[in-house]
Amino acid sequence: MASDPAPAKSMSRPLSPHLGIWRWTATMAASITHRATGLALYAGTILLAAWAFAASRGEAFFAPVGAFLASPFGTLILFGYAFALLFHSINGLRHLYWDMGRGLGVKTARMTAWYAFAASILLAVAIVAAGVSARGG
Amino acid sequence: MTHKGTAGFIAQRASAVLLLPLVAWFLYGAVANAGASFEEMRAWIGAPFNAAMMGLLILVGGFHMRIGMNEIIDDYADKGFRGVFKLLNLFACLGAAALGVWSLYVLSS
Repeated sequence: MASDPAPAKSMSRPLSPHLGIWRWTATMAASITHRATGLALYAGTILLAAWAFAASRGEAFFAPVGAFLASPFGTLILFGYAFALLFHSINGLRHLYWDMGRGLGVKTARMTAWYAFAASILLAVAIVAAGVSARGG
Repeated sequence: MTHKGTAGFIAQRASAVLLLPLVAWFLYGAVANAGASFEEMRAWIGAPFNAAMMGLLILVGGFHMRIGMNEIIDDYADKGFRGVFKLLNLFACLGAAALGVWSLYVLSS
């Protein structure tokens, strides 16, 4: 420690998560994605409330949003929203399972992290595809 | 949430459990109404079961959102700003929930 150039006084506390020095793992990615999807859903829910309010003012405000959601970019937004909702729910199940004191082993936690990613992506694709075919686009 | 960690912990998990069936219903409803006309959408959301589920989703979702954002504020915000951010968070969640419930009332009546 003699060669440590920084005096203790001037050291600032590291920011968490330590993205620069930690090796990425599925569990870490799932944890970060859980928080990121939580934030995305926070914003998405406020947008949804604004849209619901606009729709409550009448059909003139409802139709353009439907047209936008039918566009490729709108469909991408729908996919992102579905993925965020599904990932946060499925990974939330992992958290509830952990809270019962189960599934905390490293191997199990890594496996369920991969499952959460795979299941939410597959389900989001299936749901958006079902929606697109249902509206006949 | 200082000194209220356990209450927040339990409230977050209880609301999470409630949200699971509500979110499943919401995704089903979104697919079932894809491409619906304005009147079709109104008729669907006006059905008692759907209106009740939507209302619960708005209220429980807003509650869950507030706790989650408070946790993020605790993790990243400077101590002196936490109170202000948490107050803004409360306003945002209450505002979104109020907007949602009001719109649900108008659309379903």
